[in-house]
Amino acid sequence: MTAALEMAAIEGGYEPGLPILRGASLSVAPGEIVALLGPNGAGKSTLVKAAAGLVPVWSGRVMLGGRDITGLAAHRMVHEGLGFVPQTENVFANLSVLENLQLASALVARKRRLDLGRMFELFPDLDRQRKLEAGRLSGGQRQMLAVARALVASPSVLMLDEPSAGLSPKLVGVVFERLKAVRDTGVTILLVEQNVKAALAIADRAVVLVEGRERLEGPAAELVNDPRMAALYLGAAA
Amino acid sequence: MLQLVADGLVVGSVIALGAVGLTLTYSILRFANFGQGEFMTWGAYFAVSTLAFVLAVTGGGVMEPLGPFSFGWQLIVAMLLAAALTAILALVVDWLLFRRLRRGNAITLVIASFGAALALRNLVQFLYGTLPEYYSREIQIAIRLVPRDVMGGLRVTPDQMLVIGLTLVLMLALQWLLTRTTLGRAMRATAMNPALARVAGVDVEGVIRATWVIGAALAAIAGVFVGITLQIRPMLGFDLLLPLFAAAILGGIGSVRGAVVGGYIVGLAESLSVPLVGAEYRAATAFAVLIGILLLRPNGLFGARA
Ligand SMILES: Nc1ncnc2c1ncn2[C@@H]1O[C@H](COP(=O)(O)OP(=O)(O)O)[C@@H](O)[C@H]1O
Ligand SMILES: [Mg+2]
Repeated sequence: MTAALEMAAIEGGYEPGLPILRGASLSVAPGEIVALLGPNGAGKSTLVKAAAGLVPVWSGRVMLGGRDITGLAAHRMVHEGLGFVPQTENVFANLSVLENLQLASALVARKRRLDLGRMFELFPDLDRQRKLEAGRLSGGQRQMLAVARALVASPSVLMLDEPSAGLSPKLVGVVFERLKAVRDTGVTILLVEQNVKAALAIADRAVVLVEGRERLEGPAAELVNDPRMAALYLGAAA
Repeated sequence: MLQLVADGLVVGSVIALGAVGLTLTYSILRFANFGQGEFMTWGAYFAVSTLAFVLAVTGGGVMEPLGPFSFGWQLIVAMLLAAALTAILALVVDWLLFRRLRRGNAITLVIASFGAALALRNLVQFLYGTLPEYYSREIQIAIRLVPRDVMGGLRVTPDQMLVIGLTLVLMLALQWLLTRTTLGRAMRATAMNPALARVAGVDVEGVIRATWVIGAALAAIAGVFVGITLQIRPMLGFDLLLPLFAAAILGGIGSVRGAVVGGYIVGLAESLSVPLVGAEYRAATAFAVLIGILLLRPNGLFGARA
């Protein structure tokens, strides 16, 4: 079966001659939630940014549902069906909640647009805050808006960079439940996480990235108790 | 007193129109464009040429004044053509110069805009000469709105009223564009966070082009307004550059509302200070007001709190 998202031997980085990604590969099957794990500084954010067109890819391929999207301009990616929720500053703080969604919706072709009414059904908290400036939302609501903003363009694959960062354990649970609901609507998810336990709890599979390369991968249920996991995290810290 | 307020509103309209473009390019391209004043000058001179063109095309070669105004409908058409030409000029300058420097730092862009301003100013002198020009030689009768014994009285020409009125209409239209249209939301989104804007599907280069078009067109219209109410000179825009910056900074650089309010504050401050300090120092009062407001509100009236 064709992967929903496939990255093959990606090399890339912010400055020429300073590679951050050193041949990273991963593959996400349609309908899967895959967790992208790894120690701090491993290059997880850089890898998803490279796929999203925000960081140059020097070599390797990014394939979306079998189509080559390597090196496309970032603003073209939504039209291809790749959604991305960055880790920080992931909503337009100076626009209202409704405007954040209206903008994202207006930028994609009509047939791609998800009905905003349905979006507010999925995120009732946002419905009550339509007119509020997004910068005034609480951490959890802001994360919901960031996800909703990406979903409005009905992506086939959604990449999220640490959606649990800065949230209380209870809110992490709420956000992750919502991600499962999103997956159940048919969206494939690549989830970058520091919170290994929470991520493995909702993921089908996980990939561990260390120093810009994948070092371990397998079903989430098996990796939970895999001693190699701890070793990879500790190894990077040492 | 009333008279000075009215004069201040006319000057303030011109400054507001120019400062809005300045603040827009600042918030989207992230540099202070010292060429903004030259777009005013070019707009005013383009209108001299487009007016001659419109008059030639429509035959006759003379402009029949429209109602109480000093000019005919041909000047309105000429102004719109001049705004379009100035927008194209801005796009060309961006394409030749600024686009190549976007990856560098803001100082490079600022210095480049100094250079562009100098080149544009010299080019306009070369093409049009240094003698003042006028769109119309018609003498206009000022309308007395307030008798002389009430607060010094008030006489305003229809042209002046038109300038103030059109400026308000343009500012409302811009406000509508920024808050109600996809382009406007994309511009605000790009100003806030260009990387996220791209992720959301905004073509940032397209937004940049739209910003130049809007900023330069408004500047051109401001230049034509100066030509209507005063005269057209090669230094027209350069002489307004410092008030433009004062207005944009005073309002909070990046804020459109701030630039408009700042424009009128600077215009009024200049005008009202004339009887106090004399006409030679009117420009200095804008800076006194600027410094005073920045001491109270370091980010300007409508600036984001850091
Ligand atoms: N904008 C940037 N410019 C230059 N280097 C960066 C930038 N962002 C991250 N890096 C570097 O890239 C490496 C990987 O960072 P990152 O992808 O954020 O790791 P992770 O998300 O796995 O914690 C780090 O060494 C970091 O210093
Ligand atoms: Mg990261």
